[in-house]
Amino acid sequence: MVLDLLKLLLAIPFVFFLPGYFFSLAVFGRSSEKISFFERAVLIAPFSLILIDMAVLALNKMNVPIKGMVLIGTILIISLVGFIIYQYRFKKNSKSVEKSEETSRSEELFSFSFWQTIFILVSLVLAVFIRVAYLSDTILPSSTDLGHHMYWVQMIVESGKLPVYGMPDFIIGEHIIFAVFNLVSGVGVMTALPSLILFFINILGIFTLTILVARLFRNKNAIALSFFVAGVLYAVSAPQSKYVSGGVVGNIIGDMLIPVALYFLLRAFKEKNQIFAGLFLFSFLGILYTHHLSAFVFIFSMAAVLFLYLALNIKRAFGIIGNWARIFLKPVPILFFLFSIIYLLFIFTPSYFDKSAVSQATGAPSKITRVGLSLDQIEMNVGSARLLLGAIGIALLFLNFKPKKYKYSFTIGWTSVLFIMAYKPGWLYVNIPSDRIGNYLFLPLSVVSAYALAKYFELLKKSSTRFFASALLYTLLFFVITNGLSDSAEAFKTRPQFQETMETFHSAQYLAETTDSSKDVILKDHVNIYGDSWYKLFFMKDYKYPLSRGNLSRYDDPTKPREMCTRDMISKPESAEALKCFSETGVNYIAVNAQIEGKSFEAYPEFSKVYGSNYISIFKRN
Amino acid sequence: MPSKIIIITILALLLIGFSILFIIEARNHNYDYKKDWVAVYFANPGDNSLDFAIENNEGEDAEYDYKILFGNDKTIEEKVAVEAGAKQKISPALDMNNLNGAEKIMIIVSNKDAEYKIYKNIK
Repeated sequence: MVLDLLKLLLAIPFVFFLPGYFFSLAVFGRSSEKISFFERAVLIAPFSLILIDMAVLALNKMNVPIKGMVLIGTILIISLVGFIIYQYRFKKNSKSVEKSEETSRSEELFSFSFWQTIFILVSLVLAVFIRVAYLSDTILPSSTDLGHHMYWVQMIVESGKLPVYGMPDFIIGEHIIFAVFNLVSGVGVMTALPSLILFFINILGIFTLTILVARLFRNKNAIALSFFVAGVLYAVSAPQSKYVSGGVVGNIIGDMLIPVALYFLLRAFKEKNQIFAGLFLFSFLGILYTHHLSAFVFIFSMAAVLFLYLALNIKRAFGIIGNWARIFLKPVPILFFLFSIIYLLFIFTPSYFDKSAVSQATGAPSKITRVGLSLDQIEMNVGSARLLLGAIGIALLFLNFKPKKYKYSFTIGWTSVLFIMAYKPGWLYVNIPSDRIGNYLFLPLSVVSAYALAKYFELLKKSSTRFFASALLYTLLFFVITNGLSDSAEAFKTRPQFQETMETFHSAQYLAETTDSSKDVILKDHVNIYGDSWYKLFFMKDYKYPLSRGNLSRYDDPTKPREMCTRDMISKPESAEALKCFSETGVNYIAVNAQIEGKSFEAYPEFSKVYGSNYISIFKRN
Repeated sequence: MPSKIIIITILALLLIGFSILFIIEARNHNYDYKKDWVAVYFANPGDNSLDFAIENNEGEDAEYDYKILFGNDKTIEEKVAVEAGAKQKISPALDMNNLNGAEKIMIIVSNKDAEYKIYKNIK
């Protein structure tokens, strides 16, 4: 146990630090006027994540087996290449590089006062503490989504190559990083490993949002408050700790990368800098390879930001477009663009890059779950306090509106488009489950919430009627803290389901050891067995093996006929339909909850009960 | 104050958090640790063999009563002690060719108030 922990703790800096650090050296040099120490520290892990994805995709394309030593060598080579580029680009000038005024300004932005530092540290302690408290009851691998993802990770680990999914539900970037950690550290996927990686990325997401806030507002109070708003408020609800323990991999990585891409876009435009333009394309490529929904949301967000900026500066629109073109038609962004195109077309095309996936996600909403959320649902989704603060932030931005400044179009455009996508998706021809879109609203709302609080403190200082301003501020803070931390109580109320999970694993192990997967066919129940999606990792035969009775509502789909066998063989095993299904599918083992379906199955003479525990019963059809 | 202190603090917090969570998971990823359950199963579910096993995951040593029934006729009644976290395999010495017309062979394992049964329907 201790050895595995040590291996994991050594693998984390090796994988998440080394390639990104040398990449940042190659791009910015050791001491750059463009980027502060804090920003570099935050960006190293996202850089590493994207670089490793790209490297593994290239290895797979070259038919190099994806194994531990190969990956260690690859990470070292990436780092070495970064170091050589750094030496070539910067070393000869290193002696003459003095701390310029711009370097000082970058560092100054992240140099906080004593009380700001204390506030940030307390926010971070709370953010980590709440998450650890919640995850301590869910850390045993058991969630459905994580089980599905880890099947593909295990597939990469065992086969040494990337899988062909055959379905658009999974994106390769959701799995590469876990496989790399497994292969480099030797720590298995059926451990705390996947949740810890997601936990790390979730915390990193707070920091990427913070550097975006910093460059948008250049306001230290807003930066300090963004740690609190993004890290502490609603730290348990989706898309925070619940997504970490639930294994919603794409969202967690997307929520971390979207602020990175916007950060580089903002800096490319504001500073007319081709390096940032190139890094924007690089981080966008990372999103494309990680999560289709995050990529979709990001494209809409970016389009809204650009459109709003042009609309607000309509008289200068052609000039602005020309300026943007001049930023992106330079060697660095062109190089990154060509690199992206080569990857997308020739190295690895994401599984969702086809017409049918695009047509499924766009157009008039086709299901009731896609027609938009009510305002109450949005409030539930993002949290009352964050919604209120966000609204105040938008109002304050309007009060001080300067259309030429990018911060207004970035914040208002981003918030507005996500709000419309969640509230009235039909207006934008978005055909995606609205609650999934709603989960992204916390990103722009956290940005404007931090701004709202910071600006309010400034207004308070200037206010002549300090009594009323103070009363209003304390009322607001009381509401924000009580409402925003209310979900954290869940972290201490959850009941761990470790025993149920281990009984599920035990039954899966029993079946894996006693059945012949070439002739026996297993059906298990998803409805009443906890952690059942991990069953497939004991067999590694096929993503859809063992067969599974899904949530019952899924069988009632008015839009298309669904297979009913997996339901009927458990729900009514003696019916004519079920008998036909048994004959067609060859199912001869059924694993069910001992206290629910297990009791019913004991009445059926066609079945022998071959395994019984407190939680799981396994029946064999004679 | 320099921002380095923030980076160092979050790394230290993550190190502590990771270690705590990793150890919690590793300890609980065990069939017996802080658990209270029993599994009874046939060693060969695919044939007519009656070899079976009892796994004690109740957190303490336990003695189990087990009986084997051919139809409604009790043929064997024994006790078996199983250490905490251990598995006891049992191979009943029974003549499977002399079932007295029974179509169901059942093994009932009991301990305290709990009862676990497994059976094979033989037609």
